[in-house]
Amino acid sequence: MKQQSLKKIFVILLLVLAPVGFVFASLFVGRYNVSASEVIFSLSNFLGLTSYNLTVEAQTVVVYLRAPRAIAAAFVGAGLAVSGAAFQGVFRNPLVNSGLLGVSNGAGFGAALAIILFGTQIAIYGFAFTFGVLAVAFSYWIARIYKAVPTVMLILGGTIVSAIFSALLTLLKFIADVNSQLPAIVYWLMGSVASVNYEDFWTLIPITLGTVILLFFGWRINVISMGDKEARTMGVDVGFCKIMIILAATLATAGAVCIAGVVGWVGLVIPHIGRMLIGNDNRKLLPVAISLGSAFMVLIDTFSRSVCSAEIPLGVLTSLIGAPFFIFLLKKTKGGGWQE
Amino acid sequence: MKIENASFSYDSSRQIFHNINIQTVSGELFCLMGRNGCGKSTLLDCILGIHSLQEGRILLADKDIGTYKPMELARHISYVPQVHIKSFPYKVKQVVLMGRTVYLGNLGVPQNKDKQIVEQVLAEVGISELAERPYTQLSGGEMQLVVLARALAQTTPIIVMDEPTAHLDFYNELMFLEKTAQLILEKKRTVLMATHSPNQAFFLENCGIPVRVGLMYEGQFYAVGKPKDILSTDNMHKVYGIESRLLQDGGWRQLMPVRTDKEY
Repeated sequence: MKQQSLKKIFVILLLVLAPVGFVFASLFVGRYNVSASEVIFSLSNFLGLTSYNLTVEAQTVVVYLRAPRAIAAAFVGAGLAVSGAAFQGVFRNPLVNSGLLGVSNGAGFGAALAIILFGTQIAIYGFAFTFGVLAVAFSYWIARIYKAVPTVMLILGGTIVSAIFSALLTLLKFIADVNSQLPAIVYWLMGSVASVNYEDFWTLIPITLGTVILLFFGWRINVISMGDKEARTMGVDVGFCKIMIILAATLATAGAVCIAGVVGWVGLVIPHIGRMLIGNDNRKLLPVAISLGSAFMVLIDTFSRSVCSAEIPLGVLTSLIGAPFFIFLLKKTKGGGWQE
Repeated sequence: MKIENASFSYDSSRQIFHNINIQTVSGELFCLMGRNGCGKSTLLDCILGIHSLQEGRILLADKDIGTYKPMELARHISYVPQVHIKSFPYKVKQVVLMGRTVYLGNLGVPQNKDKQIVEQVLAEVGISELAERPYTQLSGGEMQLVVLARALAQTTPIIVMDEPTAHLDFYNELMFLEKTAQLILEKKRTVLMATHSPNQAFFLENCGIPVRVGLMYEGQFYAVGKPKDILSTDNMHKVYGIESRLLQDGGWRQLMPVRTDKEY
């Protein structure tokens, strides 16, 4: 018994420390040469613990460039991964991700609209977030044609809404200024946290809120994945739980997408890596997905800004690094119980 | 449980069933029979709280089930589906543990006590050795026993079963029915079961449990009573449109279908 609780504490520590460790390590890596001691001292200077004499460049690079984007990347990865895992459970489908109900396409449209109308960072974040949430609300409203909001209708609603917003996005691209606005839209859609400042950290609030709410629903997601009818006969208020889970996942995903753009693959593959490592019980899977997702995104972002002089878009790297790793795991775990 | 004058329709043009009255007796097995589309499954859905009745009421401990929250209702009635559509490869013990959800409070998680109950239930049903297996790899027969175990872990006085043996082979069918009979005898559970096989009703009666049959025809009960009184060749002809013969050997009865009635 005692050994079991020790093991539990160890696992929890590991889950918390992994992302923190990755964020910390990422501060030491980059194309601008900052020595290890400079990194440590610029951090302690920033926190007011010391007042060493450092170059302004080193201080800025570590504290105002590397740190905020690493922290943002960690939250983005966590939000996308946990929402993806929750949606897979609720929709009983291992192939869905958090963009299922149109949040990514809605956010993409919102961002493009803001780029054309205002062009300011704050407007882009605000519009992306708002339209992401609106898209999901619209999908849910379509599914309400039936009282019970059945899963199939939700997926259909999401497909319809995604199609609408993707058409509108294409329209915006078409009318956008080819020299300035169109590239901005295209780059935004590829995904990046390069321009993140501490002022943008308000978007971490919905990510955190959504993530924490989802953690409370781990067991319910297990039961709901047995099917709506069976879950109901086991005493779960399926309608209420679904709306809460969709709301929480949408907050987390919209927060992530508005700060980082459309980063695919994380919400799909990280939950699966989690399933292979820990199993399908969502009480354990969700925390593991959070930890893995944030560590993975920090790794990807660090790679993206370090490997060559131009930044590689996050969406490209998540697939190019994530996919081979996924194949490796599939082979190693022989599908993790997925054979029919 | 008492069902009074129950009627239901999905839309106003066609009634699925009407004037249904059942009063279950504690510790009995009530077989709901009738042709495809006669309203059996819809009636079960109403009892499970999935649909609400148009007219009439379903009383549980003298309270209308419409007033029960899902959590309260699930403490009285558990459910064994015809086929469970498998999702993620949970372990068998995790699936059975889900039956304990109703005792966990709104956001609670299972405790050690719940895990002990699961072990006990798995032993009762005789599938302890499956506990660690991914449930997606089970055979149809094993799967039904897992769902039965899940309903038992829910420890409800009433269990609703919707054609639970429809996809099972001979051995598994009988085994499932024997377990159900044993459950009724030892634990005084009440079982409401939709079935297509009159011989299951005879078989269960021979297991020594009180069995009643409700024969549904065009959305109403055509006859309700003991299998030997209700499951006659005349009634089979009327309700199912088939010619049949009743075979008797000592206490054993079997209905043998002969041919469909072309005039029906």
